[in-house]
Amino acid sequence: MSNNKYKILIVEDESNIRSFIKTILEAKGYQVLDSKNGAQGKMMFSSYYPDLIILDLGLPDIDGTEFIKEIRQSHKVPIIVLSARTQEKDKVQALDLGANDYVTKPFGTEELLARVRAALRNSIHGKETEDGQMAFSLRDLMIDYESRLVTMNREPVKLTQTEYNIVALLSENAGKVMTYSAIIQAIWGVSDRGSIKKLQVNMANIRKKLGIKPGANPYISNELGVGYRMYNE
Amino acid sequence: MEYLKKWTGNVLLSVLILAASFGISLMIQTIFHTDTLIPTIFVLAVFLIAMTVDGYVIPILASLFSVLAVTFAFTFPYFTFDLMMPESVVSAVIMLIITILTSTLTTKVKKERKIRAEGEKEKVRANLLRAVSHDLRTPLTTIYGACSAIIDSYDQLSREQKIELLEGMKEDSEWLIRMVENLLSVTKIGGDDVKIVKTPTVIEELLDTVLVKFSKQYPEQEVSIEMSEEFITAPMDAVLIQQVLLNLLENAARHAKGMTELKICVTTENNRVIFEVMDDGCGIPKEQLHHLFTGYLTGTRADSRKSNMGIGLSVCAAIVKAHGGSITAANRHGGGAIFRFDLAMEEQ
Repeated sequence: MSNNKYKILIVEDESNIRSFIKTILEAKGYQVLDSKNGAQGKMMFSSYYPDLIILDLGLPDIDGTEFIKEIRQSHKVPIIVLSARTQEKDKVQALDLGANDYVTKPFGTEELLARVRAALRNSIHGKETEDGQMAFSLRDLMIDYESRLVTMNREPVKLTQTEYNIVALLSENAGKVMTYSAIIQAIWGVSDRGSIKKLQVNMANIRKKLGIKPGANPYISNELGVGYRMYNE
Repeated sequence: MEYLKKWTGNVLLSVLILAASFGISLMIQTIFHTDTLIPTIFVLAVFLIAMTVDGYVIPILASLFSVLAVTFAFTFPYFTFDLMMPESVVSAVIMLIITILTSTLTTKVKKERKIRAEGEKEKVRANLLRAVSHDLRTPLTTIYGACSAIIDSYDQLSREQKIELLEGMKEDSEWLIRMVENLLSVTKIGGDDVKIVKTPTVIEELLDTVLVKFSKQYPEQEVSIEMSEEFITAPMDAVLIQQVLLNLLENAARHAKGMTELKICVTTENNRVIFEVMDDGCGIPKEQLHHLFTGYLTGTRADSRKSNMGIGLSVCAAIVKAHGGSITAANRHGGGAIFRFDLAMEEQ
């Protein structure tokens, strides 16, 4: 057991859910801290500085979104939100506030582990970009940030400026769910009534140009009503 | 606010009907030089008002106005009031009786219709509840029994035995999850005041999400898609419509025996998106075709999982209906079944 294992903090009030998440994460070699409410979670965070937080949105003492707001004031640690189906709105709000990803209850272990890997990778990738990462590659897709060139199977893909900007933005945040409003803010700066539609049309064109068919899209996942996510594995 | 709007509408409608009858009466008087038709016209007007308008106040006012109009304008001597004329009194009484009777009748019919609609909704819900609570018991028995077995005799069981028990638990929990998803959808649309929140959804993205989920449930079942290249969006509650498509696909995967192809076909027509889920399996037995969407399918074996089909499909019907669309099922000519539903492409 080395000391450089990732530390993951679980904030969840249901003890059964907490214990099963803890078990599967520990089985994969992560070091797990757990807390049963927001106050305890905050305390654990400031004393251990975990590499990732798994946060239940429905906590007994504080609103999960408040928790995210407080953490995000000073920390970039990736946050995965656990949400129930009845909390659709809170989910989008949590993502807008800076959560990286969400998992809807009930979820399978594979799903959760995949999100954990993606979020951890995203946070490392983020660090690398600061040092000047020049390219992104995922399966047959390659993006060269310097020459603004996107290739698929080594064949260049002709994207418009806007389409390239969207693809680049998603790839820079690969593994993270980008909400519609976050993408619109980054690409156009301002948003109006037609913004989401404009984004959706651009995405449809991107999919067409990348040759992506419904049901077989290993590059960009559609989070209906929420946003888009570029995979990072 | 709503009430005020309705009330103004009713008043306007009544005024319009009365004005029309007045005009027609004037025309008849000038063309035919006779007054005998006129009371009949006003009787019709009052009858129409009492039929369409709620309550008693407006119809009674309308009938009083009609009496006044007939005595004032269409009874000799014209354009004078002589209310004490016996004819006026009699006609006023008759008018009032007609009004009150019609209003009573209309109110009663409306009430009954509401009760019947409510009763039907209640029946669907009760059927679902009964079906579900019955169906929940089987997987719960498996899960409870299997994990008790593992805990109680952990050391006696072989690794394979444990894995087998656990897989059964997993399978049944997955089934429970899907069932609860369906139930959630029903409660979401079951309430009277609950209005579905629709957001414009790109059909291609919807299908992608559905296929990703479906392939997790049925990895070996391929689904082909047939749709035009154009950019189609429709306002919908995407979670609910996903549920409809997933239920239809699952239904095919479970029940269409001998199926070699499962296909979703999307077309547009008259500003509506039409979704078709078709298979080339064994088709739907004729006797089931009529009550596929009405809830619990009676006649299925008590311990079978088949009833999930009834629940899934009735949830589909409820969701599509709540979106202002309709859903149908039929057998295809070449064999297999086809389910079809439609959604408006623009907010109504």
